Amino acid sequence: MTGAGRGVVRVEGLVKTFVDEGRGEVRAVDGIDFTCRPGEIFGLLGANGAGKTTTLRVLSTILAPTEGRAVVDGHDVVRTPEAVRRSLGFHSASTALYPRLTARETLEFFAAVNGYPAHLVEARVEALMERFGIAAWADARVDNLSSGMKQKVSIARTVAHDPPVLIFDEPSVGLDVMSALELRGLIAELRDQGKTILLSTHIMTEAERLCDRIAILHRGRILGEGTLDELRSATSLHYLEDIFVHLVRGSA
Amino acid sequence: MRGGTIGVLLRHELRMLMRDTRMLLITFGVPVVVFPALIFLMRNVESREEQRLERTVFRYAVSPELDADARSLLRRVVEAGVPRDAGVEAGAVEAARPAEARNDATFRGDPTAPPPMPARFEESTDTSDTDVLVAPDPGDARTLRLAYRADDDFSRAAASELRDRLARVRNELRDSILSAAGLPVAPERVAAVESVNVATPEREGGALLGLMLMPFVLLLLLTGGSIAAVDTLSGEKERGTLETLLTTAATRHDIVRAKQLAIALLGFGLVIVNAANLLAYVVLGVVPLPESLALSLAPFDLVLIVLLLAPLTALTASALLLLSGRTSSYRDYQVAFFPLLLVFLAPALASMLPGMELRSAVAFAPVTGIGVAIRELAVGERDFPFLAIAFLSTALPALWISRLTERALSTERLIEPARARGTDAPPGHAHPSMLFPRHVLRWFALMWAAFFTVSLWLGESLELREQVVLNLVVVFGGGSLLMIRRYRLPWRETLALRRPPALAWIAVLIGAPAGYVTGIGIASLVDAFLFPVPEGVLEAFGDVMLGAELPLWQLLLFLAVLPGVLEEIAFRGVLLHGLSRRLHPLVLCLAVGAVFGLFHVSLFRIVPTAYLGTLLAAVVVLTGSIWPAMAWHALNNAIALVPAHMGWVGVDTRLPAWSYAVAVLALVASWTLLTGGHPRRHAALQGRDT
Repeated sequence: MTGAGRGVVRVEGLVKTFVDEGRGEVRAVDGIDFTCRPGEIFGLLGANGAGKTTTLRVLSTILAPTEGRAVVDGHDVVRTPEAVRRSLGFHSASTALYPRLTARETLEFFAAVNGYPAHLVEARVEALMERFGIAAWADARVDNLSSGMKQKVSIARTVAHDPPVLIFDEPSVGLDVMSALELRGLIAELRDQGKTILLSTHIMTEAERLCDRIAILHRGRILGEGTLDELRSATSLHYLEDIFVHLVRGSA
Repeated sequence: MRGGTIGVLLRHELRMLMRDTRMLLITFGVPVVVFPALIFLMRNVESREEQRLERTVFRYAVSPELDADARSLLRRVVEAGVPRDAGVEAGAVEAARPAEARNDATFRGDPTAPPPMPARFEESTDTSDTDVLVAPDPGDARTLRLAYRADDDFSRAAASELRDRLARVRNELRDSILSAAGLPVAPERVAAVESVNVATPEREGGALLGLMLMPFVLLLLLTGGSIAAVDTLSGEKERGTLETLLTTAATRHDIVRAKQLAIALLGFGLVIVNAANLLAYVVLGVVPLPESLALSLAPFDLVLIVLLLAPLTALTASALLLLSGRTSSYRDYQVAFFPLLLVFLAPALASMLPGMELRSAVAFAPVTGIGVAIRELAVGERDFPFLAIAFLSTALPALWISRLTERALSTERLIEPARARGTDAPPGHAHPSMLFPRHVLRWFALMWAAFFTVSLWLGESLELREQVVLNLVVVFGGGSLLMIRRYRLPWRETLALRRPPALAWIAVLIGAPAGYVTGIGIASLVDAFLFPVPEGVLEAFGDVMLGAELPLWQLLLFLAVLPGVLEEIAFRGVLLHGLSRRLHPLVLCLAVGAVFGLFHVSLFRIVPTAYLGTLLAAVVVLTGSIWPAMAWHALNNAIALVPAHMGWVGVDTRLPAWSYAVAVLALVASWTLLTGGHPRRHAALQGRDT
């Protein structure tokens, strides 16, 4: 094992570079460290291109780190990527659902493919549908569902295999106010169940209201990290937006 | 667990595909409906066309310059209405290919029906509205000239019909004149010809099946598989479900396997549906088969054919999946599919060329090898070593492409091109040389194509010196120069232009002859166990190399010094440099050797030259310098040339067994000198052996 406990996400000296045929080497993530524990929502706050999505993609093993290491639930993202993915649920605006499957089939597939015990899948799927209020639409094809209902199916499929770690990449992008509010309620509920939650956002209020700790990311580096109160006392500013602007300008 | 995951993924893929009703309709429904419709249409058009031709009246005009004899002949011809295929010539030339003749008749309709009566001719005075104008030839008044227009179907058919009738009547006339003049035998018995087809109908049927089977299967695998492929990766990307899938616990390997299986199953399903379709029409009599067609395929051969189709299925599935992975939308995929189709169909059609033999370099060509292997199996010929080669030649690329797809699934570009190259990310520092390792093999593939084309099309017409200059200077030298300039590669490092350790020269002096002799040993082993080289090939090769009556110094210049310099620059310089960062030194040397071997097109030279290429790559890697490799290469070629040129040895000269043992020892000594003298190592070894 790697030293990190159950459900803990630890990132050390993480660097991710891309070779772009036009521009050469691009450092999307430039040496970041943070730790996120069970029962905590850890927020990555930053503008577009700050490196939030790249960091989360490295954690979900879609991308391989160039340098440094990342450990999820005791599993190294490079050495045991499958174990990492079994331990986490990844949700983003771009993780779509299969339109030709029904809600039930969607949940069954994601539970099975993530290694949830076959004999327990059915009961798990029923329980999820009850909890997320999608039982009435269980056998409707996903492409016939409303966007709010799709959102619920999408969160349900993220937790289908009951992973200890959940990653939400800009989850409220494209949602209306009420859907976003409902989504935040669900995420907070999952935190209260003891899940480790990593969340990226560029919406200040979302970070303020939802995150227990926040890391401000800019050009691949973390400029400040801590609880909202810690960030406030470090910068002598009250609003997160001011803190963010202060740190970003200070780094320039 | 893994099999379980692939099973879950495959079921999922198939469920998704089966719910795409439009796709199912296009893939399976359309061929089932379109195929018979096309057959009906074609048969209908054909019979109507035939009827129309029979009812047609051709108009011909006669030039006033035509003399009376010619006119009467012409009248006799057009009025007689000689039935087509009436067999006027059959007595003289009995074209007795029964199977073919019957096939022809069967395809045209009922074989027992009398041959159709020809069209009628009508004389016309209006020359502007005729199909054929008959006039005396201006150069020779006794020759009839039929003027027609090739762009007009009627005119062309009229001329052809008239010409045939004239020929028959001419034969009759000639025969009657000869008989009247007292020819002692019947004129049609003079120089009578009879050709007999001795192939059994089974072999003929097998040959036909073998010819058509692979291209038929391939086309269906590609079209059927393509519909699954586009949905399964491009479609996933477009829908945004790929990222969802990639964050599940399934490995890339499992995902790729499941998708390939889905593509292969759909393609295979299409093959089955269409084969059943075709069979149903044959049984129902909608598609008439030639009567003589017989097929008796031994079950074992059938199993072998199915086995050979397996790597083909895998290759098409892998290639389609890779294409789907590399394109980001349905539209992109459709644009890229057509070139891929050509890439597959060209070698498939090549396998249909006459005279293809499996026991040749063809076995090494992916797809073509399979086609030729199936052709031979279908007529009951089993050449197991080459069947295995053909199998591997297609299976290995399938594996390789499938690895590429797995790797493609790990690259950022696959998921979301725009975001991976975020525009607000800080600017990087690109140097084109960073891209070279990824492009080097493409360049060599291009050079190989140029090299192959030159030897195929110009090989016969060029003399030795021209060939050498074209291949070595233009292809290898020019190609290397282009790559160095295009990628701004550092000269000295790329070409390993460094002073070697002094011991390296001694190693070359010992190693080159030793390498040459062991190379002969390896060639004999290949000859004995893999594919025997016919003596004639060796002699022909020797003639090409030595037959050019050049003075020895020119021979050495063109066949030893120039290859030594230019081939080393291309292979042990540019290629080795390009691959050195990506491969383990041992694999690197083998890879450089293999590519070098492939450039020596004739089959029996591939293995020995690959061996030489590997040795030379090792020399460069161990000494960090290209100079000893150049010397070794030139010396090797000189050793091959001089004794033969001087007539000291012939094609059938055999080395004594002990010489191989000595050569192996000398090679070991040379190796020790190269590794032991604290040499400056090539970049490929740096950081690896410390």
